[in-house]
Amino acid sequence: MSEDKVLIIMTSGPDTPRRCATPFFFATLATAMDYEVTMFFTIDGTLLLKKGLAETVYPKAGGKSAAEFRQEAIEAGVKMTACSASLELHDLKPEDLIPEAKIVGGASMWQMAEDSKTVLTF
Amino acid sequence: MAIIRGCNLPEDLYYYPEKHLWLKPLGGNLFRLGLTPIAGQLAGGKLNAVTIRAKNIGTEVAQGKSLATLESAKFVGPVPAPISGIVKRGNEQLAANPDLVISDPYGEGWIAEIEATKWEEEKASLLTGPEGLAAYQQKLEAANISCH
Repeated sequence: MSEDKVLIIMTSGPDTPRRCATPFFFATLATAMDYEVTMFFTIDGTLLLKKGLAETVYPKAGGKSAAEFRQEAIEAGVKMTACSASLELHDLKPEDLIPEAKIVGGASMWQMAEDSKTVLTF
Repeated sequence: MAIIRGCNLPEDLYYYPEKHLWLKPLGGNLFRLGLTPIAGQLAGGKLNAVTIRAKNIGTEVAQGKSLATLESAKFVGPVPAPISGIVKRGNEQLAANPDLVISDPYGEGWIAEIEATKWEEEKASLLTGPEGLAAYQQKLEAANISCH
């Protein structure tokens, strides 16, 4: 059902660690409300899907890493998609990303937005 | 009252062991529900928010579907409906004091009231009485869960 979908667009990355927990938390929370949740990573957000990188990003000193927030979202069923153009921006290859990440083109973002009841951007 | 693996589980309630919820018959088809101390412990012991989805009030929710959400510093997750039914009301006290769900789970910390629509079909999926609690104890032992 299209009304049960939400899309979270993530543009923030390792340069702004404090912005790297809440989007994952909100995604996990939305699955708890029975929404079908997709996160779309673009610009610097894509770096949070790079293998090994989110493990070094701490939204709060001494707290959980961005990778832990990301893992909770994945375990809750959140789909992770990465913008293909943003891979180029960061000189990343598909194999540099975690296996859960699916690489999609920009037009897919528009389609997902169209199908979603709510779109949030961080 | 029964204490099983350190968890207080009154014998007169029904339990939905998948998510460690309790269900109390209020008469007719009306039931009150909340978290057992087991669920409270699994949620991290202190809650920041318990939210009953407003659009669910007055509508039918199927067994296992999300009725409310729990948020703590360590955990975020759903409170599924232990039985199918029409959600009659949520506990309004929880907005200001979500931790009642943990501190007084069978009293002031109840979560919602639901009018069962498939009670006869679904009651077999719940555990109750001495036999039900014995089965619950086995599940807790298998999963190595206790409230100590």
